[in-house]
Amino acid sequence: MVLTLDRVAKFYGDKPVLREVSLALAPGQVLLVAGENGAGKSTLLKVMAGLSRPSAGTVRQGVDQSRVAYLGHQTFLYPRLTALENLRFWARLYGRDGGEAALLAALERVGLARAAHEEAGSFSRGMAQRLSLARVFLVDPALLFLDEPGTGLDVRSRGVLRAEIAAARERGAALVWVSHALGEDLPAADLVLLLDKGRAGYFGPAAGFAAEGGGA
Amino acid sequence: MIRPALVIAGKDLRLVLAGGVGLAQPVLLGLLLVFVFSLARPAGELVPPQAAAGVFWLASLFAMVLIYNTLYSLEEAHGARTGLLLAPLAPQAVWLGKGLAGAGLLVVSQVVFLPAAMIFLGQDFHGGVGLALLTLLAGDLGVCVLGSLLGALAQGQAARESLLTVVLFPLLVPLLLAGVRLGGLYFEGALEWEAAASWLGLAAAFDAVFAAAALILFPFVYTGED
Repeated sequence: MVLTLDRVAKFYGDKPVLREVSLALAPGQVLLVAGENGAGKSTLLKVMAGLSRPSAGTVRQGVDQSRVAYLGHQTFLYPRLTALENLRFWARLYGRDGGEAALLAALERVGLARAAHEEAGSFSRGMAQRLSLARVFLVDPALLFLDEPGTGLDVRSRGVLRAEIAAARERGAALVWVSHALGEDLPAADLVLLLDKGRAGYFGPAAGFAAEGGGA
Repeated sequence: MIRPALVIAGKDLRLVLAGGVGLAQPVLLGLLLVFVFSLARPAGELVPPQAAAGVFWLASLFAMVLIYNTLYSLEEAHGARTGLLLAPLAPQAVWLGKGLAGAGLLVVSQVVFLPAAMIFLGQDFHGGVGLALLTLLAGDLGVCVLGSLLGALAQGQAARESLLTVVLFPLLVPLLLAGVRLGGLYFEGALEWEAAASWLGLAAAFDAVFAAAALILFPFVYTGED
């Protein structure tokens, strides 16, 4: 398994945010995490990604940390570095610096090759998110966390995002995808976890969830 | 830990030096401090060497606070801190990388502060360059070791974390004392091994203790986990 959670709970002070969440994710599977605001989705993602320790239970990642990636609202970009410099920095941190040709190829894939030497601060939201996408896929992730990555993107950027996500899945990457657009994202999912006040209200196949009218 | 730290330090220096803005503030603040102290001396009188050394180190400490605030704030604008925490590196690599970048910027600032202190406070060079450099090295090491930790603390969201910087700042007093005594000896022309050894030993012990403490504390400080 790429990711296993066993009876995970998280408390902030006395307040429970996650309770008894268990799941397992195999290579190539897409887990859609849904729930109302405040249901614990972002906390769960942080716990899964290792950014926050669970108060109880265990989280096990079955892949090397160098192949875990995260794509969310925030782009992790430095506005005063160029697109190429941003990519080079993250590639070096992940030990994946294959030279300028590899970086330019990654930019080409997300349609940013012509903007390689422009400062990221001058990019639109869509361009910044596509650069962030290039950063993520340069790592060739085996486990990818997506926190509403399509928020605020234009049609072209959403297309690039969906194509890259599909390509990652084909390569065997497991995805954990927090989504508010359940109806739109459900067809791409294998599993659904519906959080209700920190508990797993539903965890199972996406087809079963859709049959129960969950995606409506 | 060394390789990612060098990558982070290189990126930080590029960002700060490219615009020049990040370094202008600490240098100008330090120069202002030296200038104001020069106005405080009665006309025709010399500033005591130890006081001049004190002004030099105070300028360096204030510069350190600004430098490390700038370096850590680079990670906050677009959530890069989360990216660093997810990357396959020890959190201490961030502390070391910021520490190295800050050390470079501090030395550049001191290259301005030292002649300014000599001109405005009426001090002279007195040879003994090797020992003077050793004094600067021991002092700057401690300042950067603690500065990199304080910079991470200052980015904390809660007021209690910001308050910790105020609590921790007095911890620099032993180092400041050693720096002032050694700097005073240098300006007097009396910086020799016999006189300097005990103060250099104090500074080195400070550096070692706080480097060890920072290595242990930094992951808790930077991840925000209890």
